[in-house]
Amino acid sequence: MNEEIAFWILSAIAVLGALVAVRKRNLIHGVFALLVFFAGLSGLFLLLLAEFIAAVQVLVYIGAVGVLLLFAIMLTERVAGDDNRRMTSRGWRWGLVMAAAVFVVLLLRPIQKWPSPEPPQPIKPSVEELGKKLMNPYVVTLEVLALLLTAALIGAVTAAQGVRMPKEEDSQE
Amino acid sequence: MSILGGGIFKGMAVTLRNFVGSYINKKERLPTNDYSWRADGALPQSIGDYPKEKGEQLSDTTTVTEYSRNFPMLLHDGGEPMDTVRCVACQICERECPPQCIYIEKDYDENGKYIKRPAVFDIDVSVCMSCQICVEVCPFDAIVMNSQFELSTPNRFGGLLVRRDDLLKSNDYYHKIHPEEAAARDGKMATEKAAKEAKKKAAAEKAKAAAEKKAAEAAKEEAK
Amino acid sequence: MSLELLIDILIATVPLMLIFATLFAFTTWLERKALARIQNRIGPNKVGIPCTRIGLFGLGQPAADGIKMIFKENIVPRGADRLFHLLAPILALIPSMLVLCFLPLDFPWLNEDSVKAFLLDGAVIFFFAITGLNTLAVFMAGWASRNKYSLLGGMRAVAQMVSYEIPLVLSAVIVVMMVGSLNAGEIAGVQTGGNWFVFSPWGFAAFVIFFIAALAETNRSPFDLPEAESEIIAGYFTEYSGFKFALFFLAEYIAMFAISGLAVTLFLGGGDGPGLAVAPWLSAVWFLAKIFGFIAVMIWLRGTLPRLRVDQLMGFAWKFMLPISILNIFVAGFAWHAEQLGNRYITVITWVISLAVLYGAACGLNQLNRGKVRPREYKYAE
Repeated sequence: MNEEIAFWILSAIAVLGALVAVRKRNLIHGVFALLVFFAGLSGLFLLLLAEFIAAVQVLVYIGAVGVLLLFAIMLTERVAGDDNRRMTSRGWRWGLVMAAAVFVVLLLRPIQKWPSPEPPQPIKPSVEELGKKLMNPYVVTLEVLALLLTAALIGAVTAAQGVRMPKEEDSQE
Repeated sequence: MSILGGGIFKGMAVTLRNFVGSYINKKERLPTNDYSWRADGALPQSIGDYPKEKGEQLSDTTTVTEYSRNFPMLLHDGGEPMDTVRCVACQICERECPPQCIYIEKDYDENGKYIKRPAVFDIDVSVCMSCQICVEVCPFDAIVMNSQFELSTPNRFGGLLVRRDDLLKSNDYYHKIHPEEAAARDGKMATEKAAKEAKKKAAAEKAKAAAEKKAAEAAKEEAK
Repeated sequence: MSLELLIDILIATVPLMLIFATLFAFTTWLERKALARIQNRIGPNKVGIPCTRIGLFGLGQPAADGIKMIFKENIVPRGADRLFHLLAPILALIPSMLVLCFLPLDFPWLNEDSVKAFLLDGAVIFFFAITGLNTLAVFMAGWASRNKYSLLGGMRAVAQMVSYEIPLVLSAVIVVMMVGSLNAGEIAGVQTGGNWFVFSPWGFAAFVIFFIAALAETNRSPFDLPEAESEIIAGYFTEYSGFKFALFFLAEYIAMFAISGLAVTLFLGGGDGPGLAVAPWLSAVWFLAKIFGFIAVMIWLRGTLPRLRVDQLMGFAWKFMLPISILNIFVAGFAWHAEQLGNRYITVITWVISLAVLYGAACGLNQLNRGKVRPREYKYAE
């Protein structure tokens, strides 16, 4: 009973955050609304008793990705827009069709009462299990991710260095 | 090779010594004055009274030395201030003041003739930057620096505009707060005065000698 | 929600807030007095019992400051984002207060039920996740003030906090590795009997790194570049007055308590001390005493060290602290495996080797990072 109430509240927070994030013209307000969405999502993870994932969601999405988005927005110019203008984009009818389609697909199983497959073995969600799985079947994935992140970091640092000035050849005359 | 971060530990030892020392030998370590009330102190007249005297305020001798300066004051040589005020309202300090915080008006008598004293002499101490330029340029040694620091006022529309009568302080007060400087200034004034008198006497003697010479010549002319 | 659950939550959280708010008031007083004594002056000593002349060593000063802050005029710059200007101090305060719940403080009025909500299995990582929300509040404050210098100060503060989060987390990982669990209560429980993690070489190195990174996380001297008054006129605090400033102040100090509490839990045994068998309620006293020790050292460092420049700050984080923390993880892993063998001599040798390796690496990195004096290079001027 408590879990249901918590689920509804957290989902409401998440959906509201997402709606505000896509509707607002002011980019900074939008990003903060997105961060509220991430927080709601983290709460939903907590409801599924995945504490580690919830904490990492806050740590990575809100603490790192959110801050990165804010830095990026701050370096652009037109940030504060006027909210009163109507948000019309060109393909909004097709967008509506796609959104309805996704919604239907997500609810397809309960609608048609498909028999759900065997529920998997209830794995106790713990950090130890996560760690063991990371080491045993998924270590290659881990290493590839690490390589990817390192490459991204090196690329970012190189891109931030700027263009080096070419050495003056005629300075020796 | 010293320990990594050894400098930090040495610094921390110094501050710890300061901290502990400030409780043990107070005289050495705490040069600031302790303003807490003691049982033998005078009773305050009302809540929020500060230990100060009315009128000429003597500066607190532990934080204010004889070389401190705060804002200017006008000097007078004793007695009724406006009778012996040294300032003649020449307005040189008003012109030389960098932030232009001095406002002077000359005094005129009933006939409209200029008397050598200021009718209005205002210094806005919220603007004054204590540069002492007014002291340097004054030809009459009339304006010097005071070390009075308790000038705060709750009136924000003119409470910090010090008028002529509050600026006037006696030469004896000047000697009390800045003894060396006052003695030097008095000495300079005395030598200048003596030099002027000597010059005047010399000029008078020369005039007398010239007059005598002329009389002698005239007498000689007559005798011829 | 049942009434018992509500009462349990209130019993767990309200005394914590009251205790730490009182500690906050005491700490502001202590800081001013201690800094003053270090600097050969006295500090506040006139504000004691109101309406009398008794100055109880200035103990009424925090209350007087609080009342003053409440009555100050609330100025919001024209054109500033009013909503964010209001939200920023609140967003700074909430994470700081929230993480206080994760500390394994065994107050005597807490029973099993009331602390069950907070005995999370992943308490340590929740701690770091929520401490990371402070960066958002700082950024919001800098942005909402519509002031170039506030923004600049806010950016520098966020850069500093983000850079120092990595050594902070990596040095906590060592403790988690040695214990094998993220549960704060379990970490504190493993260290009973005086074998705290700070007494082992890798633990000591991790402790030092954690402490320095904690100083930088809470924007405390010598890393207080974003909020120093002589630097950028108080940086992201500039446009805040009155109660909002008091909230920022409160948030900073409670963040200081929270990180000290985590350091005590991870490295100093959290609540461990003599006399526990006789009086179990002493563990809370020891915990608070250790937090107080940390606060005293932080104040001491504030009075001692000059401020770091921003490039020195960032260089220190990325070029010194990060390599040392990574090396520390390796050393700790190696030592853990060596200790599994159980042989006493191997343990001693491992300790000596790890001590030598860590100290040598620290000195080597120090030498490597010494700035070389070069002729000045002009990148953009011809």
